Amino acid sequence: MTGLAETADRRGPRFRRREALLLGGVAGAITCGWVSLASTVAGQPSMGDPLLLLAFLGMLGAAHAVLSLAGSRSDEVLLPVAGLLMGLSLLMMVRLPQGLVVQDFGPLELGLAPLQLIWIGVSLTAATVVAVALRSDLWLRSYKYTWAAAGIALLLLVFAFGEETNGARLTLRVGPVAGQPSELLKILLVVFLAGYLADNRALLAGRATRLGPLRLPPLPYLLPMLAMWGIALAIVVVQRDLGAALLFYAVFVVLLWVATQRLGDLAMGVLLFVVGAVVLYAFFPHVRGRVEIWLDPFATAQGAGFQIVRGLYALGRGGVLGTGLGAGLPGVDGHLSIPAVHTDFVFDALAEELGLAGALVILALYVVLAQRGLRIASAARDDFRALLAAGATLVVVVQAAIIVAGDARLIPLTGITLPFVSYGGSSLLANGIVLGLLLSLGDTRLAAPPPPQAIGRRERLRDAAGAVAGRAERVIS
Amino acid sequence: MSGLPDLPAVGAPPRIAPALLRVALSLIVVYGAIGASLSWWQVVEAERLTSDPGNPLLVAAESEGRRGRIVDARGVVLAESVPVGDGSWTRRYPHPEAEPLLGYVSPDFGSAGLERSFSAELLGLRSLAPGGDLLRKLRRDAYDPQDVQLSLDVRLQRAAVALLRGKRGAIVAIEPASGRILALASTPTFDPNRIVDPATGAAYFADLLDRPAEASALLDRATMGRYTPGSVLKVATAVAGLGSGAITPQTIYPDQPAEERTGFLVQGFRVRDGHHLQTGRRALDLTGAIEVSCNIWFAHAGLDIGGRRFLAWGERMGFGEALPFDVPTAASTLDGGDGFLDDVELANAAYGQSETFVTPLQMALVAAIVADRGTLMRPHVVDELRSADGRVQTIVPEVWRQVLDAGQAETIALAMQQAVEGRLGRRFAGAAKVPGVPTAGKSGTAELGGEREPHAWFIGFAPVEAPRIAVAVIVENGGAGSASAVPMGGELMATWLKLAP
Repeated sequence: MTGLAETADRRGPRFRRREALLLGGVAGAITCGWVSLASTVAGQPSMGDPLLLLAFLGMLGAAHAVLSLAGSRSDEVLLPVAGLLMGLSLLMMVRLPQGLVVQDFGPLELGLAPLQLIWIGVSLTAATVVAVALRSDLWLRSYKYTWAAAGIALLLLVFAFGEETNGARLTLRVGPVAGQPSELLKILLVVFLAGYLADNRALLAGRATRLGPLRLPPLPYLLPMLAMWGIALAIVVVQRDLGAALLFYAVFVVLLWVATQRLGDLAMGVLLFVVGAVVLYAFFPHVRGRVEIWLDPFATAQGAGFQIVRGLYALGRGGVLGTGLGAGLPGVDGHLSIPAVHTDFVFDALAEELGLAGALVILALYVVLAQRGLRIASAARDDFRALLAAGATLVVVVQAAIIVAGDARLIPLTGITLPFVSYGGSSLLANGIVLGLLLSLGDTRLAAPPPPQAIGRRERLRDAAGAVAGRAERVIS
Repeated sequence: MSGLPDLPAVGAPPRIAPALLRVALSLIVVYGAIGASLSWWQVVEAERLTSDPGNPLLVAAESEGRRGRIVDARGVVLAESVPVGDGSWTRRYPHPEAEPLLGYVSPDFGSAGLERSFSAELLGLRSLAPGGDLLRKLRRDAYDPQDVQLSLDVRLQRAAVALLRGKRGAIVAIEPASGRILALASTPTFDPNRIVDPATGAAYFADLLDRPAEASALLDRATMGRYTPGSVLKVATAVAGLGSGAITPQTIYPDQPAEERTGFLVQGFRVRDGHHLQTGRRALDLTGAIEVSCNIWFAHAGLDIGGRRFLAWGERMGFGEALPFDVPTAASTLDGGDGFLDDVELANAAYGQSETFVTPLQMALVAAIVADRGTLMRPHVVDELRSADGRVQTIVPEVWRQVLDAGQAETIALAMQQAVEGRLGRRFAGAAKVPGVPTAGKSGTAELGGEREPHAWFIGFAPVEAPRIAVAVIVENGGAGSASAVPMGGELMATWLKLAP
């Protein structure tokens, strides 16, 4: 807390006026939704039990107050956008059958909506704490190989001890706590990539080395690309988690291109993707199954295509203006009309009740998020921060695009959460951290970046993994 | 290559900000594509998805809403919902002779027929009011049940079922100028009231399911039954021949009279015939070949048309894929779906044997093409949807395919009249003659091989000049067409012309 006090002394609290106005709008919209939902359920004008709504609005207000009191000079649109998405999520979780997820806390038994509200609280806390407390990014950029090593260790843990959820090995359980590490992994990935690419940009953007008659890309550039490709393949094969693999690989290729801006890199990335996709399609039935469902879900509407067909029905029922909150059809005869409606298919449920109009607004929210995040990136004071902010933005908006495009049958469906909206603690926590990271990087008071090459031997040596990797780098180049 | 050493150029890398702008633009394109595909499902495809029988919305609506009625062309009720006391409704079917086309809907045994394919309309999932679906959420009643009016006339339907009594078979009657189905019968049939009655449903439905496939009452033979057509297919061959230009009305095959005695040798297979006692040494033209149903002439014609053109013209008439209709249909094929293996298969297909398999509905359409002088109207049995507030949506007859020139169709029509009324034709299809009305038709006897009795077929229409009805009749294992199917076709056409003078 000393950091916070110092900051307050230095600049003092600052009222974030635009954020307050936008949050007011968010509060109004979610309250309207709440009344609409409660009235539909009751059959007459009603407020329902506003406890969860008030708690949610309180959390948003608290996050805003902390940022203001800490004198944050960061972007004032990001929090309201994430807040609106979280509010829509809360409305949907209140509306869905509460028995979908139940957890006992001693004598207290909590259902879907209260649990999601807790996760939203965790997410907002994480965002605020990171935004306020992250005063210097030195430790992020210095220990990039440690982050990479931690990520790979985490991945191996999941490979070895992961539990299956819906046919994918996603969940890691430590005592009573269970989580999906791929959500945390995506943060480690962008931190590492930002550090690695920022350090090696000049080398990577340079010409290819000639090795006898062969024109090869520089090895340090080729190796990480192949490594990322291999990791993505391994995630698909071992974890059967197509969504995470696609997300990691796509973010990697885009960041690599941003760093080098060579079209060849993009082409190479796409080529490797195609090769990987063909190999996976040829040898792994679960990948082939996904593609076949995508091509003709109605052929197996009662079998493998059930989920996506039910999702499409929901989209059709919604039409342009939607059925209205609470008037959709999440369940029939005690069965869910779409399996996993609270996680992978939450977007379809929202699109049913809010219609195409609401669905496009949700898409627009992610586009606004992308715009604000990339703005922070382009205003960043050095390459590391630019790449980190861009990566943080991409892991959120690319993930949203992957799952929504899957729901809308634009691409094969891959199970992955919709950031800030899907039910789930890991997802909300991780995306909260990403939000905090963006807010922190956008804060003009962030400590000035170290001059290039200033990260000295001392930090290198403390970064145990980096010491090894650095030596390898020197040998290769 | 210059003489300079090729060193890696490690200079200042490009600025990042411009690249980020391109990333942002790409993201906008990606999200635009997602928005477009959402619009596709939520606007363009919304109606189809909502009406899809698999949509759980139907189950939900079923439990709380009342279905509309199904009525025939004159308003006679064929299906309606009646209260059963505890606030729920059950379905009543006053005219079971409209089965299996009508179908049934039961909470225990699902749904079939029109009751299934028009569930969305009967339950009123869509509104007939303009913008009604857009504003559904503002209405108190979410559903707007509609009455479905058919083009079917229950009097003609009853006559068709009576003709088929005790036999297995199907009859399709269609109005050629509009494509409206007038009767669509399939026997054996079932009583939907016993399916929906909780007291009898389980035992009755189990009994229906237990029957062997060939005796099934649930199968709609008129739309789903695929039969060898025999000589009625020659009408389709004539359409393909004239349409493609492979034959003309004057085409004769000089070798044909001689081949009547020896058989026409195609790649070692002899096509045979049975009418040379009547035609003798006369080489037949198209009209003569249809009148006496000359296999050899049509085998020649089929070879002249050629496999590819025959299939292409078949497609124009609706062969090769399921017909667009108000209940599911099976696809009819000229080649078994796998192409013509050789000239033997093609020559035999041209007169309705080898791997030709057709539905009675498809053969009724072939008759209707000739009757309507070359135009194929889209067949339909639902004429109108009516909502409780008096709004009406009329299904306007539409041209599905323009198949043939009017003049070419006229040639075939007159040849078919000759087949019913001509000196030689009378012997085969004379029983189809509607007294006092010029009648056209073609009989068929589909050989099945082995010991089985052939299927008896008839297709035809009347009156020849301005046809008001076209029919297809099949009696499974009914023997020679002239014995059973032909008089049935004649009687049905006569009944209709009397009912609707």
